[in-house]
Amino acid sequence: MTRQYPEVQPELPARSRGVIALVEENCTSCMLCARECPDWCIYIDSHKETLPSPEGGRARTRNVLDRFAIDFSLCMYCGICIEVCPFDALFWSPEFAYSEYDIRDLLHEKDRLGGWLESVPPPPAHDEKAEPAKELQVAARPPRPARDAGAPAAAPARERPVREPRAAAVRAIKPPGSLPKRPDPDPDPEGNGSGPRPTRGEPPENVT
Amino acid sequence: MDCMPRKSENAGMAPTDLPMPSMGPLSRVAPKPMRFILNWGRRYSLWVFNFGLACCAIEFIATSMSRHDFIRFGVIPFANGPRQADLMVVSGTVSDKMAPAVRRLYEQMPEPKYVISFGACSNSGGPYWDSYCVTKGVDQIVPVDVYVPGCPPRPEALLNGIIRLQEKIAAESLPERYTWARSHSPSGETLLRPPLNPPEAPV
Repeated sequence: MTRQYPEVQPELPARSRGVIALVEENCTSCMLCARECPDWCIYIDSHKETLPSPEGGRARTRNVLDRFAIDFSLCMYCGICIEVCPFDALFWSPEFAYSEYDIRDLLHEKDRLGGWLESVPPPPAHDEKAEPAKELQVAARPPRPARDAGAPAAAPARERPVREPRAAAVRAIKPPGSLPKRPDPDPDPEGNGSGPRPTRGEPPENVT
Repeated sequence: MDCMPRKSENAGMAPTDLPMPSMGPLSRVAPKPMRFILNWGRRYSLWVFNFGLACCAIEFIATSMSRHDFIRFGVIPFANGPRQADLMVVSGTVSDKMAPAVRRLYEQMPEPKYVISFGACSNSGGPYWDSYCVTKGVDQIVPVDVYVPGCPPRPEALLNGIIRLQEKIAAESLPERYTWARSHSPSGETLLRPPLNPPEAPV
């Protein structure tokens, strides 16, 4: 069945590699994308700005992005810049209709790259049974109890034992091989690596 | 008046100053409606000559097949040869060894002729821009009308490029195109469009 392209826009999957969009606010001009680009088709100019600290401490410097340009006549659409960006400043957009009469117009400066952001699809949804995103977990967690003792006693007392075993469990899981050497002198009958883990896990079980 | 050209002929191999071939008397003196009709006829019967040099040619073939089917736009695929084609789609890496053939087949196409550069390799060399044997863009050897970006571009991107080329054809007037060429070409070359890097490049 023939697709009626100019009248009917194609239904492209969300992962389509059409054009690269830039969130200018997220870019710290760390140059990782420009360095990892196999074609070297990303051009970044920036300068440092010194902000005086409001409380009289050390003056802070931050990078200001002057120019961010991608040459789409060179780009090989590998997506390495998007994967490598540590601050989520680059995204794929499925837009493809940007052929030009002049090859110089294929060099998209940062305002045009920002314009592609409108067509960036939302990130794929989590699986139904997967645990929620880490950001949501952090946001849903109750705020930290205040340092002063005047806070109501029930809530901190409720929270303390929950937080403590979690940290212990994480520490127990982390070094899987090297764990049995050091920590607890009492020998486990099994003794092969899984020994210390229950002993470490015991205090939380007792508390809860 | 009559003996002047004959004299120059008698002078042997001296280059005669022939006028550029016109596309018929109609288009030169044509009023706007007539020019519209001429352009209209030109833009909807583009016999295409596929210069498939690499993987982008697969996308070109996909565009010519029934799913995308650019005959809908009057682009008729697979002309018998360059002499019967109006549009050349250079899809793929132009190596330096292939470049003379590209140029030669382009010159064999009859005027008016159009070129679409399809894909990153033919736009500017693409991933091979640093190679020793790849032409850094087909526009170094033939004038290009429309650049389609992508690596490879989607078939719809080629359709979009064809639509933009048709818009360009609809807006153009051949006498202007050829007077520009006559005033700018140093040696009667078929240089039909401004060079890529004019001296007054901004920034």
